Amino acid sequence: MSTEELLAIVVDKSVDARGTACPGPLLEAKKAIGTISSGQIMEVLSADEGTKKDIPKWANKKGHEYLGTVEESGFFKIYLKKG
Amino acid sequence: MTMALFSGSIDKLTGAGVVLSGAAADDMDIDVYVLLMAARSFVKGNEKKVDGLSEYPELKEEFFKSLETLKVSTWIEFFEMAKELTNVKIHICSLAGKMWGGEKMEDFIDLADDICGIGEYITSAQEADVHLFI
Repeated sequence: MSTEELLAIVVDKSVDARGTACPGPLLEAKKAIGTISSGQIMEVLSADEGTKKDIPKWANKKGHEYLGTVEESGFFKIYLKKG
Repeated sequence: MTMALFSGSIDKLTGAGVVLSGAAADDMDIDVYVLLMAARSFVKGNEKKVDGLSEYPELKEEFFKSLETLKVSTWIEFFEMAKELTNVKIHICSLAGKMWGGEKMEDFIDLADDICGIGEYITSAQEADVHLFI
């Protein structure tokens, strides 16, 4: 998905993990995805560089769909659709 | 996954906690076997006194400052989070426990699930897909 398409998404859940280093964002994502339903979309906000690869790989392995990442100033947003 | 946790130093316990958290996020079943030096950190009253480093002991101040700056969880918090997320069992080696004054379950912090012998650890390690020694 393009950056414009990702930013246009009305997410069902937003997780702000910018205050934590690895593995904080992954753990926050793991906990939060359990609270939404299949097909719903979640964004994870992180400033931890390792999370950019970590969460997409984890999501695909766990059967969720990685939609893309948007760079913001000093952090990024990772978009996932629950499988 | 099985983890032989031999070291009771804060750097290795923290590292073990990070690995445990990652495995827990992956929904792995995890058995942690607490061996000789690590058992001291699981005896009640010792868990918050752990502050020695196995690696670069002269950099202790820098290590703790970085943990604080990066808001890294404590080793106990990592272990607790892993137990909340998945099936993590923490087994205390009976010999190791005795070495540090822990003989019964009530002698150990709540993270501990049982006291075991070395045979159980070896069998579990043989059966696991992933085995780590820290």
